[in-house]
Amino acid sequence: MDNPEQTPFDQELAATLRRGRAVSVAGFAERVVVAVVAARRRRTVVRWSSALAAAAAVFVALLSLPATSEEALNRQTFALIARDESAQLADLFGAADDLSLLAPVAERPAVVETFVSPGS
Amino acid sequence: MSQEEPMLPDDEDDKRLMGLVAGGDDDALRLLVHRHHARLVGYLRGEVGSQATAEELAMEVFIRLHRAASRWRPEAKLSTYLIHIARNLVLNEWRRRGRKPTTALEFAAEPGDLSQGSARRVAELDEAFQRAILQLAPEQRTAILLVVQQELPYEEIAEIMDAPVSSVKTWIHRARARLRELLKDFYAQE
Repeated sequence: MDNPEQTPFDQELAATLRRGRAVSVAGFAERVVVAVVAARRRRTVVRWSSALAAAAAVFVALLSLPATSEEALNRQTFALIARDESAQLADLFGAADDLSLLAPVAERPAVVETFVSPGS
Repeated sequence: MSQEEPMLPDDEDDKRLMGLVAGGDDDALRLLVHRHHARLVGYLRGEVGSQATAEELAMEVFIRLHRAASRWRPEAKLSTYLIHIARNLVLNEWRRRGRKPTTALEFAAEPGDLSQGSARRVAELDEAFQRAILQLAPEQRTAILLVVQQELPYEEIAEIMDAPVSSVKTWIHRARARLRELLKDFYAQE
């Protein structure tokens, strides 16, 4: 970078900036190591607490949920299919497919009456 | 705090030490920090204009380096990687705090054996230059610091700044022009 064609400005710029090129700080390496060791401890604590929390959750789930085997689940599924609640509802009403049951009850507005029976 | 240059970094030894750091060797980390921190703090101080912030950011750079040690691949020099992290931290810091570099400069020239008159001129020039550098656009400031202060080649600066070499050259050219304009009172005779 030391070019003989440099102007005084370039020379001063280079000289000024290079004076601050390296700033050695006493004890800096030790401070970094202390910070890194602290961060490592924090990470270890966090990792162990998450593992313990997960293990505790599994333990509680095992205790509180009823044990359901695959066979029991199959039985429950078949029972639900056999029960077919929608069919039971249709039986209750006897005419589940009669849509008139679902039609809203409303009076015809006067204007509709006029168009429906214009001669009357 | 002294301004002396630490021993020259040895790229191969850096790679070896990084391997040890990845394995949890704190002495290797201590050696790496000792080797690289002075230039890193110097660069960061040029970027932010504050010794305390520069040290704080340099500390964060090394903590991140340690965290990434097991994933680090020696594709670039470690010093390049460190300045790359440092620059990203500087950009994040400004975005987060919505601030520009400090204007309360902490730069003090070390006059050595200069006479009182020239020491005063050096101090004035130092302050004027540093104040002007802090007024540059971020890309221009980083580029001029890396090329003039850290004496890095354009290719390495381009790698650090994730930009083509042509952009780096443009930033440096504009930075020089802007600095010349800001310091025209000192160099009116040129």
